[in-house]
Amino acid sequence: MPVGYSIYVERPSYIHRRLDPRTKLAALVAVFVLALAFNHPAVLGGLVLLVLLIGRLAQVGWRSMAPFLAGSVWFIVLGVVIWPLYVRSGSALFAIGGQTITVDGLLFGLAMGLRVALMVTAAGVWMMTTSPQKLTVGLLHLGLPYKAGVAMTAAIRFVPLLNAERATIAEAQQARALNLRKGNPFARAIKSVAIIGPLFIRAIDVAQGLAIAMDARAFGVRDGRTSIVELQLTRADRAVLLVLLGASLVAIALRLLGIGLITRDYL
Amino acid sequence: MRATASDHARPQPALSQGERVLDARASIEVSELVFRYTPSGSDVLRGISLRIEAGEFVALIGQNGAGKTTLAKHFNGLLKPTSGSIRVMGRDTRTVPVADMARTVGYVYQNPDHQIFAQRVRAEAAFGPRNLGLSPAEVERRVDAALELVGLQEHADDFAFSLGRGQRQKLAVASVLAMEPRVLVIDEPTTGLDQAGARGILELLSRWNAEGRTIIAITHDMALVAERIPRTIVVSDGLILADGATRVVLSDAPLLRQAFLRPPQVTRVAQQLSEFGIRPDTLTVTELLAQIREQEAIA
Amino acid sequence: MDDEAVAIRVRDLRFRYPGAARDALAGVNLDVHRGEFLGITGPSGAGKSTLCLCLKGLIPAGEFSGSVSVAGQTVAPGSAYVDGSALVFQNPETQIIGLTVAEDLAFGPENLRREPAWIRGAIPTHLDLVRLGGYQDTDTYRLSGGQKQRLAIADALILEPAILILDEPTSELDPIGKDEVFDVLERLRHERQITVIMVEHAAEQLAEMADRIIVMQDGMVVDQGPPDQLYLNPVLFHRPDAERAPQISEVLFQLVQAGLLPAEEFTAREQQGIERLRAFLAERQRSPLVLWERGRG
Repeated sequence: MPVGYSIYVERPSYIHRRLDPRTKLAALVAVFVLALAFNHPAVLGGLVLLVLLIGRLAQVGWRSMAPFLAGSVWFIVLGVVIWPLYVRSGSALFAIGGQTITVDGLLFGLAMGLRVALMVTAAGVWMMTTSPQKLTVGLLHLGLPYKAGVAMTAAIRFVPLLNAERATIAEAQQARALNLRKGNPFARAIKSVAIIGPLFIRAIDVAQGLAIAMDARAFGVRDGRTSIVELQLTRADRAVLLVLLGASLVAIALRLLGIGLITRDYL
Repeated sequence: MRATASDHARPQPALSQGERVLDARASIEVSELVFRYTPSGSDVLRGISLRIEAGEFVALIGQNGAGKTTLAKHFNGLLKPTSGSIRVMGRDTRTVPVADMARTVGYVYQNPDHQIFAQRVRAEAAFGPRNLGLSPAEVERRVDAALELVGLQEHADDFAFSLGRGQRQKLAVASVLAMEPRVLVIDEPTTGLDQAGARGILELLSRWNAEGRTIIAITHDMALVAERIPRTIVVSDGLILADGATRVVLSDAPLLRQAFLRPPQVTRVAQQLSEFGIRPDTLTVTELLAQIREQEAIA
Repeated sequence: MDDEAVAIRVRDLRFRYPGAARDALAGVNLDVHRGEFLGITGPSGAGKSTLCLCLKGLIPAGEFSGSVSVAGQTVAPGSAYVDGSALVFQNPETQIIGLTVAEDLAFGPENLRREPAWIRGAIPTHLDLVRLGGYQDTDTYRLSGGQKQRLAIADALILEPAILILDEPTSELDPIGKDEVFDVLERLRHERQITVIMVEHAAEQLAEMADRIIVMQDGMVVDQGPPDQLYLNPVLFHRPDAERAPQISEVLFQLVQAGLLPAEEFTAREQQGIERLRAFLAERQRSPLVLWERGRG
């Protein structure tokens, strides 16, 4: 759980400061397209390194990116264990329990794990370099209704608050001898009502208080809102967008041609 | 962390309302308590030592962030010391799970809405005793006694959320009293209440204290502390700045200023009248008037 | 009092929440003068918060009757947004909407479609007003309770209201937070022409700041007056279950009741009260009997 509103950290990098949030969003989408287009571990692994490099260019620390990679290790292990049972092409390596394990199987499994690593790490770097405030304004420019934009900001604003409320409620009920550690999962789930009940009511209270406060500050009084954040797509933005579009199209083309793949049979 | 066998061998006696609780053991003994939330974080409590005897009524004052709530959460074992020790009724809190500590130390939170589910008053007050594993008959007895103590008997079958803020506060207190703890910690009992509500809660606490229960109240309300609470502990920046008779502590303006607090208005006024023989440790309006009348009687 | 000098005019205001047993407001009559600092006090359930909402123009669902006029604008259910007044609530948390201080301050003006350039310029000015200068880019979750509440006041002021209404702004704050907020309001009072209406239980600070205080009970105004007169009321104050009065006023009240102090000398404010008591005690001590007693002892 982030301590603050998001894991965004302000840095004086070009990517943080100059790049339009819409461009950054497009970059994330492009990475996802590339991730799905290829299933060769070497290609996907290379893309992971590329994302890490971009992160470093944006002055994001290794220690910040590490948790995303660490989290993906589990998926790599899982991939290498399960996928060889499905992908049988390529030269056989050995047999376990009647199943023949092939090179392609192992490589594909590795690739699937790396795909998760790529998408997760890219999402992480994206979140760390995009300020929620600018992102919301970017989405508004892309057509998000203005009330939805405020709702988004309010939701982000209140996550840490409700998390703190949940912790306080848990403490208060523990002080009334509620023991969440005893009992089978089913019993424990029932006991959690003692926490979820008050939390739900607190959330409604907060929402009501917030609604009145927003009304008091003229929310919804005019048709639409202005914003102190002014976005503009610069030439740099357009250049980056062009590169992203190009890369995505090339990736799709390569996919159709069967390049950069271990097997055509699976995505 | 499992309770030791000796804890179960010694049954908690059922206490009726009028029985005085006499227990020779100190209620709370804190020794060189140091606490930080994370290993790399700063110390929130920087070496606290104190001793609270059974039956005392103590006020814990200090600005937000000074550590008074953090300290109070050690009293019922919600937090465990990073170093140093704390014994409650003779038991080291590190050896007792929180749910067990609730038998001995009740903790009433500042906002009753952090405890109340959407159900009826009686069921709400029964939550604690039921968690303690008491028999249905015993639970009912305790709930009735607790509701009567706070004056919510007639609302016993109403929905908890149909009550006003002051009454919900009383319900929260009743829910904890129903567990009949020896020690009661109450956080900001008068915040958000009007004068009548605040007086009501304080009266309740005084009555309960008169029966021998130890009460620790975290509060900002200096005037009410001066009127009703005999001992005051000032917490500032993770340390105890003062610990003693309320009369001595609350009239020490320079010390309170260190903790970003001020004496009650009547004390501030009295201290400006010292050249007329008015005592600088005057705590209440009644005391000041008595001294003024004395002067008047001479003239 | 001519119309120019009256900022708010309330006549026979009645309001009942849906399904309620009795009226929340049972016929309130009130004139608030331009530039006045009006305090409102009274027990829970007296209707103080409901009155604040009505004065802001945020009339809740329910039965409404009577007339309310705020800065020349008529307020009734379904009327247009009232921009003559701004409201600050009790809970610092639920008033802060932005993720950063600047974003939060901008929220109101953005809703009113003000020019971004104007808003950007107004932000530092209003932060200085509440002593939060330089905090533009601070994440709002990092602020203390007192800071959040001061930000809420800035959020209200940036709407450029003629009237600022505060509903128990300090009840959830610690002593430092309380002092910070009262400090800001005190300065506002002296530096600006703004009319302030504040619901407060902190009697001592209210007595220092308010020009006039009204007491509400059961939906009605039961008494009003400058602090130095209002707190003489023997029914509303100075009894065990009554509304809280500043301690200095309790002392002087008893002296007035005992005939030892003339009612004109009564005050509810600390410094003035100390001076009165000084004078009172000095007079007593100059009497020959006292000097004789002293000489003996």
